[in-house]
Amino acid sequence: MEEEEEQQKHEQASACDSNGTPIHVLAVDDCFVDRKIVGKLLEKASFKVTSADSGKKALEILGFSQDKVEKSSYNDQKIDIILTDYCMPEMNGYDLLMAVKGNSNVKSIPVVIISSEYDPQRISRCLANGAEDFLRKPLQHKDLQKLRSYVKPSAPVPKTGTKRKVMLELIPESGTAETRPRIAGVAVA
Amino acid sequence: MEVGQMQRTWVEYTKSLFREGFLDGQFTQLQLLQDESNPDFVVEVVSLFFEDSERLLNDLTRALDQQIVDFKRVDAHVHQLKGSSSSIGAQRVKNACIAFRNFCEEQNSEACLKCLQQVRQEYCLVKNKLETLIRLEQQIVAAGGSIPIEELSFQGYKVKL
Repeated sequence: MEEEEEQQKHEQASACDSNGTPIHVLAVDDCFVDRKIVGKLLEKASFKVTSADSGKKALEILGFSQDKVEKSSYNDQKIDIILTDYCMPEMNGYDLLMAVKGNSNVKSIPVVIISSEYDPQRISRCLANGAEDFLRKPLQHKDLQKLRSYVKPSAPVPKTGTKRKVMLELIPESGTAETRPRIAGVAVA
Repeated sequence: MEVGQMQRTWVEYTKSLFREGFLDGQFTQLQLLQDESNPDFVVEVVSLFFEDSERLLNDLTRALDQQIVDFKRVDAHVHQLKGSSSSIGAQRVKNACIAFRNFCEEQNSEACLKCLQQVRQEYCLVKNKLETLIRLEQQIVAAGGSIPIEELSFQGYKVKL
């Protein structure tokens, strides 16, 4: 029973900051299907999720105000990390990245870009301008562990060999090294 | 039909969809995201995919019907459809979109029209298959059973716990 409780604490901590508060992700994607899937994936891993369907909406959530006369309160929703699609109309993920990194009030919020396309120039441009990472769609469970590390890089990593929840995986029977689909799932070790 | 028989039918039908390439592992990921807090998650996502796809197919038809085709616009629509089909694991639709984008790049109207036909066909097929699958799942749940995801082993992949 004690081991189970410890395991549960570990799991809850997997998407929590040092105070045990869930990591708050601002998930930005113009595609409704992707927003729903990513949102569910994050919530199931105990992240707190706020979704935005555009870069413009994301900036509003972060506190950027068009009304420059009144001072906005930046990040009052306490976003810990921004996860944004690259390809979006009007304001793409790179534009959003630059807007965030160009504002001293929010530039410390880590930004991770996701895209269905592998474009080396696009990737290096984003990384060179402050993106923490550039992940391929569709997002997998292992990617969520990276998100956690970008929010609290000094967080303890579960030791191998200790009891922990493991991923339900689809693995090729041939054991080839090719990229294989992974599925999120849990089973008690 | 008793629950066990329905579950066996579901397993075989699902395996066939993977074997024939209609679905890939991403669809199984969706099924695993479904839980008691959101028991209709897969149905909701699939329904969104249907709405999104039908809108995009209509947009594509209109865009390719123009006197002067805006291939950038066509490509943007195909890119979206490729993205959402990839996200739900509709592999054949995704692959048809990849081929479509190549012809958008070449600005080949005739080839694009053929691709649109192909994408539409693949979409109709997978829609039909998914609706059948969802109906089977709903029958299993209504009869008090559960969806036996752990019994899946398909297309050179095995479910590893």
